[in-house]
Amino acid sequence: MLDDSKPLFVAVAEQIEDGILDGSYPEDGPVPSTNELAGFLRINPATAGKGLGLLVDAGVLIKRRGIGMFVAPGAREALRERRRLAFQDQFIAPLLREATALGIRPEELARMIEKEAAR
Amino acid sequence: MTAIATTDLAKHYAEVRALDGVTLSLEEHRIHGLLGRNGAGKTTLMKLLTGQVFATSGEMRVLGADPVENVEVLSRTAFIQESQKYPDTFRPVDVLRIAAGAYPHWDQALADRLVERFALPEKRRIKKLSRGQLSAIGIVVGLASRAPLTFFDEPYLGLDAVARRMFYDELLADFSEHPRTIVLSTHHIDEVANLLEHVVILDRGRVLLDADTDELQGAALTVSGRTADVDAFLAGRDPLERTTLGSLATATIAAADGDEQAARDAGLDIAPVSLQALFVHLTTADASATDPATAVAHA
Amino acid sequence: MRIRNVIQLHTVNRLAAIGWPLIIMSMSLALVIVIGAIAVSVGGADASRGMNVGMQWNGAIFALLGPLIGFGFTAMGQYFPLALGLGLTRREFAIGTALVFLGNALFYATIVTVGKVVEVATGGFGLGVRFFDTHYTGVGPWWQTLVQTSLVILTVCFVGAAITTAFHRWGQSFLWVFWIALGLLVLAFVAGMLLSAGFQAFVGSLGSVEWATWMGVVAVIGAAGAAAWLALVRRAQVR
Repeated sequence: MLDDSKPLFVAVAEQIEDGILDGSYPEDGPVPSTNELAGFLRINPATAGKGLGLLVDAGVLIKRRGIGMFVAPGAREALRERRRLAFQDQFIAPLLREATALGIRPEELARMIEKEAAR
Repeated sequence: MTAIATTDLAKHYAEVRALDGVTLSLEEHRIHGLLGRNGAGKTTLMKLLTGQVFATSGEMRVLGADPVENVEVLSRTAFIQESQKYPDTFRPVDVLRIAAGAYPHWDQALADRLVERFALPEKRRIKKLSRGQLSAIGIVVGLASRAPLTFFDEPYLGLDAVARRMFYDELLADFSEHPRTIVLSTHHIDEVANLLEHVVILDRGRVLLDADTDELQGAALTVSGRTADVDAFLAGRDPLERTTLGSLATATIAAADGDEQAARDAGLDIAPVSLQALFVHLTTADASATDPATAVAHA
Repeated sequence: MRIRNVIQLHTVNRLAAIGWPLIIMSMSLALVIVIGAIAVSVGGADASRGMNVGMQWNGAIFALLGPLIGFGFTAMGQYFPLALGLGLTRREFAIGTALVFLGNALFYATIVTVGKVVEVATGGFGLGVRFFDTHYTGVGPWWQTLVQTSLVILTVCFVGAAITTAFHRWGQSFLWVFWIALGLLVLAFVAGMLLSAGFQAFVGSLGSVEWATWMGVVAVIGAAGAAAWLALVRRAQVR
């Protein structure tokens, strides 16, 4: 359920981010509490809290005292922007590296991508 | 605040040094894992901390005071042990009644709910219970006592995977609602890894590792690739484990900053090391010349 | 104070704590009465008189006293580990358990005394049998039976608890020492009886020793057992 190649609290934060990106958690809407998250993911509440804290620090979530945490206005767009930047690093660069190793030239690669997308 | 602090704690029996100079500090309101192979001294440590046996030497403070014969401390401490003996004539309901009186924070509603969830036959003689049902008694007492300090020593012997998962869920739910200090000792490391905030590994009566689980996630690294590349990467370092298969090699190392990038640049595949795997590496590597505990702790 | 919990620990299971000893006692008493009735129906008044003398040493009452002897053993062997497991202190356990011993002694001594009074008043339940009115529980006035039975039960409990605690502490080696010491004592007694006329005379004179002196001896043994138990239990560890 969680990506185990990363520290657990980072994986927790990313899972919430995924939810915001796909609309499961709309802007201004609430996200699960630390304890709900801990119970659902079967992880230590401190870890869940740390993951949520990461998102609060990044401005993705807003803490409303006594009520809970909510998705910040504009968070979805900001997240998408950030993930786009990361996409280059995390997906395009390794793709090119592997392609080079296999002797696939960039133009050829682009054609392969178009072909795959059309399927 | 610190829930448990020991300094150079030792327990020697005639033939064996069950604990040999243990210095530890466990913070309150956390779930701590106490791990180790059989005979590592886990149970002895918990028996010392709950005043069941007496230390040979060293100091300990539990909830701020010496636990031995201390009503203040012991009434706020629950110790659920795998080997707990019950009187022959007892039924689970008898144990629960006594426990209800002995623990000031006892929650009877929770106890009733757990008895039902774990399908514990309350009125059956304890002698006739299965190993799993005996464990269920301990789990009910350990959770419903709501003791500020609760030790679970291998609390689910004989319980199947479903019941164990039930225990984790109940533990997490109740811990979230009523934060307290939990010390969980178990061999099911994979199952509990995500529940733990802090881990202590004992080996032959000594502390092999004492760290937060967050730190441990990057503490070790497994690299694999062509043997020559792996060995070049390892140059001058002592791996926790190294295996080869034909021209390929895999090695696990105590990781330092930059190792991950360096390995990637060297064209090696890298993989994280789970707590379970780290435990196995540390407790088996211990036989070799180096001291992996300090290696990891300083990483 | 959690001494209440310790007492509860010993008494929570009423059937085991009180029920069974009384049931077994009743069955044993019933058996004695049935045998007595058969003897009287066959042998008449002579049989009744004969039984009344012969049954002064009737050991049927041990159907009740026997399980109580085990009380000290189970207290240490079975209840102590659970008490400590539930976070009770040794001090709390010792005080609570001593009170349970005392309560037990008084409770069962009262039953025996009442039984004895009834037995004596009805001429051995109309049959001349003896169950309560024996040498083990005192053949004197009723208050002597009350004192003697309480004292004997209490002593047995303390000594049993002390022996069990010592066994847990030193294991098999204690048992060896214990049995060897007991064996030597018996050997010395037999040797004394066979070889020394003076010792023989001394043992003979024991028969005429006052009741109060005997009680003193029992009390001293009980006190020694209690002292040994309390000293040991404070340093007892749970395996």
